[in-house]
Amino acid sequence: MEIIGKVSKGSKMDQIYIPKNRAGLAIGDYVVVKPLEGKKPIEKFYFYGIKGVEPIKLGIIKDIMRIIEKNIESYGNLIVTGSFLDEGFHFNDLDLIFVAENEIKTNIVKKEIKEKTGIQAHILTLNNKSLVRGLEVDPLYQMMLSRCIVSNRLVFKAKHRVDYKLLDLHLLKSKTLIDNFDFLSGNEKYDLVRNMLAIWLYMNGKKVNKEIVDREIKKSLGLNDINKLKQNMVDKKIFLKKYKLMYDKVFAKILRGIESGAKQE
Amino acid sequence: MVQNRNKLIELFVGNISNSIVHDILERSVSEEIVAHKYRKELITSLGVAKKYREKINPTNRPLPIRDIAYIRTKIINKVKTELMTRILKGYKNIDLPLIDNLVDKALKDANIT
Repeated sequence: MEIIGKVSKGSKMDQIYIPKNRAGLAIGDYVVVKPLEGKKPIEKFYFYGIKGVEPIKLGIIKDIMRIIEKNIESYGNLIVTGSFLDEGFHFNDLDLIFVAENEIKTNIVKKEIKEKTGIQAHILTLNNKSLVRGLEVDPLYQMMLSRCIVSNRLVFKAKHRVDYKLLDLHLLKSKTLIDNFDFLSGNEKYDLVRNMLAIWLYMNGKKVNKEIVDREIKKSLGLNDINKLKQNMVDKKIFLKKYKLMYDKVFAKILRGIESGAKQE
Repeated sequence: MVQNRNKLIELFVGNISNSIVHDILERSVSEEIVAHKYRKELITSLGVAKKYREKINPTNRPLPIRDIAYIRTKIINKVKTELMTRILKGYKNIDLPLIDNLVDKALKDANIT
């Protein structure tokens, strides 16, 4: 067995960390440490909210990292998130977020990812301040980071702040479902429902992650299986009735929030 | 699914109105992070409207004047109602005079006018 590690600085001695879960190299074994020649290897990733992904997907992520390292000089962190990390291969695209203070030209990366993996990448670039700000006010940012793979450890402190005007904007997206039920695919419907209920949970001071939101969808809309929604198999009449009620409830709470905010000003 | 022309016009109006409301609210919030994120969503909302437009005859040239007048008035009223709901609750910085221009631009982009 072979593990590639990086020498890191210690207080009394320097060290090389290796994963606890490994086949071989047991405690007490003697090993040879020698410099790795040739190309700099892809370093390990950090998983948040997921235990692991399929080896094929991990391979794709490594390929993407190679493309990025070839084309982008510097960035603080890379976040891989979205449906790509869900179990199975039903993802629509690959969401990548660069956390960087400098401007990043993502077009070449996007093109190469498409050529090499056949996957459409949706790439956002945010600076650290914007990311923290997003986490403070936007439930979807919280959701996004509750389940992701990153190139560097995430270190930030974001307060929970309810900005009703922003939530109003977020909620407007979910209104599309009411008029366009027949036009939308199951996954699009799920996306809009999830958006609405993430806002609802967020406003009520609850934690927002995929599992919690899915549970809330089932509870609020009376679904016993979330896949029914994703596969576009819900009964339109029953579903829309419950959806409209929930939408009105969320919107009313937002308006009350805007009103009380205006009174305080 | 076969849909009649009037129904398609209503769906078009609903989606275009939603995207214009979104545009105006986004301007009133002026948050860098929101602008970044919502550009994608706005395209989606507008995208749905454009799909409906593609099914409204005539598809390759502007609609008859009476249709334009009806659609324009309907969108303006819908957008105004949505925004007024918020203004009445104390929402500030909503630029109502923007509505006419944004509606005209949206109709032109969608080959309605």
